[in-house]
Amino acid sequence: MKKKLVLLLAAVMSIGLLAGCGAQSGYEIALITDKGNIDDKSFNQGAWDGLEAYALANDITHKYYKPEEASDAGYLAQIEMAIQGGAKVVITPGYLFEVAVYEAQTKYPDVKFILLDGAPHTADYSDFKTNDNVASIMYAEEQSGYLAGYAAVKDGMTKLGFMGGMAVPAVQAFGYGYLQGAEAAAAELGLADGAITVTYHYTGDFAETDTNKATAKTMYQEGTEVIFACGGSVGKSVMSAAAEAGTKVIGVDVDQRYDSETVITSATKGLGASVQAVLDAIYKTKGWDAYSGTTTYFNAANSGVGLPTEIIGEENGNAFDRFTAFDEAQYDAVFAKLVDGSVVPVRSLTVADPNGYATAEELTAGLSLVKVTVEARQ
Amino acid sequence: MQKNKTSPSLKDRIHTLTSSKGGSAFTATLLAIGMGLLFGFLVMLLASPFNSVPGFLEILLGGASRLGDVLYFATPILMTGLAVGFAFKMGLFNIGASGQYTMGMFFSLYVAFMWELPTSIHWIACIIAGMVGGMLWGIIPGLLKATLNVNEVITSIMFNYIGMYLVDMWIQGNAVMYVSSKTRTQYLPASAQIPSLGITGSNVNFAIVIAIVIAVLLFVVLNKTIFGFELKATGFNKHASQYAGMNGKRNIILTMVIAGGLAGLGGAFAILAPSSIAGSSMTYEPISVIAANGFNGIAVALLGNSSPIGIIFSALFISYIQRGGTLATMFGYKPEIIDVVIAVIIYFSAFSMLMKNTLAKILHNMANKVHTKDAENRTTKDHKKGGK
Amino acid sequence: MENYIIEMLHITKEFPGIKANDDITLKLKKGEIHALLGENGAGKSTLMSVLFGLYQPEKGEIKKNGEVVQINGPKDANELGIGMVHQHFKLVEIFTVLENIILGVEPNRMGFLQKKEARDKVIALSEKYGLQVDPDAYIEKISVGMQQRVEILKMLYRDNDILIFDEPTAVLTPQEIDELMEIMRGFSKEGKSILFITHKLNEIMSVADRCTVLRKGKYIGTVDIKETNKEELSRMMVGRDVNFVVDKKEQEAGEVILSVDQVTVASKISKKNSVSDVSFKVRAGEIVCLAGIDGNGQTELVSAITGLDKINQGEVLLCGKNITKAPIRVRSKTGMSHIPEDRHKHGLVLDYSLEENTVLQRYFEPVFQKKGFIKKPQVRTYCETLSGQFDVRSGQGPVTIVRTMSGGNQQKAILARELDKKHELLVAVQPTRGLDVGAIEFVHKQLVATRDAGKAVLLVSLELDEVLNVSDRILVMYEGEIVGEFKSNEVTPQELGLYMSGAKRNNTKENSYAKK
Repeated sequence: MKKKLVLLLAAVMSIGLLAGCGAQSGYEIALITDKGNIDDKSFNQGAWDGLEAYALANDITHKYYKPEEASDAGYLAQIEMAIQGGAKVVITPGYLFEVAVYEAQTKYPDVKFILLDGAPHTADYSDFKTNDNVASIMYAEEQSGYLAGYAAVKDGMTKLGFMGGMAVPAVQAFGYGYLQGAEAAAAELGLADGAITVTYHYTGDFAETDTNKATAKTMYQEGTEVIFACGGSVGKSVMSAAAEAGTKVIGVDVDQRYDSETVITSATKGLGASVQAVLDAIYKTKGWDAYSGTTTYFNAANSGVGLPTEIIGEENGNAFDRFTAFDEAQYDAVFAKLVDGSVVPVRSLTVADPNGYATAEELTAGLSLVKVTVEARQ
Repeated sequence: MQKNKTSPSLKDRIHTLTSSKGGSAFTATLLAIGMGLLFGFLVMLLASPFNSVPGFLEILLGGASRLGDVLYFATPILMTGLAVGFAFKMGLFNIGASGQYTMGMFFSLYVAFMWELPTSIHWIACIIAGMVGGMLWGIIPGLLKATLNVNEVITSIMFNYIGMYLVDMWIQGNAVMYVSSKTRTQYLPASAQIPSLGITGSNVNFAIVIAIVIAVLLFVVLNKTIFGFELKATGFNKHASQYAGMNGKRNIILTMVIAGGLAGLGGAFAILAPSSIAGSSMTYEPISVIAANGFNGIAVALLGNSSPIGIIFSALFISYIQRGGTLATMFGYKPEIIDVVIAVIIYFSAFSMLMKNTLAKILHNMANKVHTKDAENRTTKDHKKGGK
Repeated sequence: MENYIIEMLHITKEFPGIKANDDITLKLKKGEIHALLGENGAGKSTLMSVLFGLYQPEKGEIKKNGEVVQINGPKDANELGIGMVHQHFKLVEIFTVLENIILGVEPNRMGFLQKKEARDKVIALSEKYGLQVDPDAYIEKISVGMQQRVEILKMLYRDNDILIFDEPTAVLTPQEIDELMEIMRGFSKEGKSILFITHKLNEIMSVADRCTVLRKGKYIGTVDIKETNKEELSRMMVGRDVNFVVDKKEQEAGEVILSVDQVTVASKISKKNSVSDVSFKVRAGEIVCLAGIDGNGQTELVSAITGLDKINQGEVLLCGKNITKAPIRVRSKTGMSHIPEDRHKHGLVLDYSLEENTVLQRYFEPVFQKKGFIKKPQVRTYCETLSGQFDVRSGQGPVTIVRTMSGGNQQKAILARELDKKHELLVAVQPTRGLDVGAIEFVHKQLVATRDAGKAVLLVSLELDEVLNVSDRILVMYEGEIVGEFKSNEVTPQELGLYMSGAKRNNTKENSYAKK
């Protein structure tokens, strides 16, 4: 009985060994995840989806790795392991990789790095340097937020809400753009000063919690018609509150209309598209020089941000079907203004609070709001 | 005939293995690990048969090429393992190691950022602060258990959350420590980092030495001192310890304080680790997540049979397997699959300790079956002889 | 050839370091009550475990009705009609009587439980054999005697006809023992065969047909009860003559050591007091026995005196010192030794070694520790000395884990520890519970020796023989009160029985004594 088991095991092992000889060695494009998982509906997932689609279409080996430890040294170690594993292109989604990529770029000059939402620098910020083998990619979140705020007000809403996660630069930019977009739309509609009110709140986390749901619920009960949920899984809390209250949500990062009926539109940034654009430059168009050694902003001009205009799986679907008045023509008009640079939303403000939570005064003054009244809520 | 001679000796061997006192615990551990590995291999075989053998060999052997990292990652789980195991000797189930660990991190961070001390003693002060933080978080469940007989499992679980949210709040509210645009703490001053052991490419540092010394000290306390005598007696039979006039309440509080301190040290060792990148360091991210190392401590303690010396080895073993596992991702396995395999190996191993007796019994029965078979063989032969 | 239902032939079972059964043969006739007699550790339980399939013997075979059978576990045993009432019951406390009886053999139709059917069968069985039980009572709520009946019904429900009773009387009151004997006779008449493990000679003489005696794992012999007597059986069992009468000289009591003054202890389960307004004194050089039927407040009273539980009212003085609220450690240091009622729960740390248990009350004394570190060599020597003095036998000496020792030796270890410790008062609660005659004789001698050495002894016992033979003075407890006080040589068992059952009471005597 025992002997049979041993024999069986031995057989299985030897088959495995034989098969193992034929296994491919090395993965050419590698993605390192940050502290989150590959299915985080944010940077990790967005970048990976773009990478995977491109690599499958062009038959390039690819793989993602998970660092053992969420620290600069841990990220660097994982980058090194990926390179050991045959990586020629390493994609690092998020500003958490800035220091690790700074170290890696000189150590591995033959490997290309695509750093999303960050620029390489030393730990003590004494040196910012983007080598020729690095492409630093940033997104104009303020433009995406601008479009969302514009669309909401144009659609006839006057009581808006904003629920950001933690006040990191990207979230701040979304929020500031949102307020400016609302202001612009109100001005176009000729509304009175203070006709639009925006309740402005940072949750302090990126999590789906009962607290966040309760906060959203309160906002809706106070008459808020739509909340721009801008903080990873915070969106899930807001969506479930909206579903109960019968109100609306604006999604973020990726098109979230498929997550909930309450999502009227999403302020997206083209994570996957940008990754594919850079990969295409490396493998096909020989356009790497355009990205090499510098920071490239993906914005309206290069279709890096925007509201969704298509529905996946529906050729002639109307992505604006959940609006009552706002439509694609209006969207195209305002989008063009961002493309041609006639409108340039403010991206960052000086904020006194150490956590980056701007006060109503700071927002009103910094973004020159007239039609919009902000109520900052902690 | 030959079989008749050999099988009783096999039986004897199993008997000696399963019935000698220290031997049985050790054998059971090895068996448990063996079964864990077997199941882990099966998972890999299912996930990707072609890569399973090289991948599995990498899990088994890969750690050997990364000994520095094996030691580095073993340090915090060694401490939380001790925190769980030590309390368990007293019959207390300290599920709160996670909260104590986080509290230890915060206290270390606080001293690292807010106190200016000479380089030579700054990191030592940070470590001690971490221990104090953990002790504070251990003493409360201890006090509640001793005075009001509140179940320590419940309080310490609650304190995991309370501790985590408090620390997140304190850190976010401290402009010196927290960088809001990066959602993490500042890099630690170099003076607060524990000296590295100087193995290239690894963050392994002096903390592992301290951790092992502490484990040995605990072994001495448990086995050579009056306090250890009382503690184990209470753990084995609290009625008898009451009968013998031992001060149960004091011992409960003391045990939880020590356990908390151990977990707190784990947190300190983790956060104060030096970085192989100049100017960088470990950082704390207040993202409302409970520290997993606290729970890993439970597996470490179970696998180490709650013995401090056993826990040294189980922490090293678990770290070793995890390091090999990371390397195994290069064989086409998704990190999540490798996580599952590692978890299967660790938890199967750890929980099989609970089934120690069952295992021993199975072996025993196997031995007996061999014996009966022999007996049958003999009788049939005898019959045949008789028939002639 | 005789008609044997079960034959266990040349059974040998070894454990590491010990031959628990060495070539033992036991033959059970159909319809007989067969006693299996032996001291603790003689191998009775091992032999029965072999029959029940819990152990596999190294040598020997088992036959049923002349055919060799292989028993690999309780399930096999059950299929052969073998049932067993274990010494420690195997019942699910939070289940009802009925649920426990049908556990594992639940009658069902397509997976649905048929309780009605089961209930009818149980009621029929209990009526037939006079085993009164309430099928819907929860196990945790019923008395030990009742629980035993449930165990017996479990066997009957499974239609077992070979019934093993492992020391069934150890936990029963005298009345319950009589009832059990009657039930066993009934089974025998029905044609069921009974194996009855015990070391109580009286019971064997009264109920058994034949008796097999084991000693130290070896087969001594099988005798017909009609042709033997107690003395012969005990000689076979112990290997020497046993003195049933406790040798005790008259002795004048000295000064008061323990004074219990109007002590009241509230009950934990009901609103009544479990001990109400009890006063008595114990003097140096006398053995005072608290007699009574189990559950009349003796346990609670002793817990209060020894500090395991709180006293609600009244005072306790030891050697003139008020210890009413003193911690246990203080009581111990003031001179109290305590042989607890439940040696597994209180008396020993079963997973500690023998040497660790011998210093359980003294490990903190300077003899055994220095600056918080235990002096292992001293502990070892002390344990060896004590073991020699009190004849404590263990497999591996001082390092033996106490759990692996026999009950008698465990009790001797406690006795040694408590008697060697400096003390003026010995509180001994049922010190001979579950022990064999040899060990009982030893314990009794030690108690008397303690008294002769001028110490005070407070004994709690449920066994009338012990109460009358060992003590100098007897206090009878009934429903939490002392209802009578006697000199042990001036009272008959019948008289005591009347007081114990509450039929007679005399309040004034003890109180007058206390106030003297």
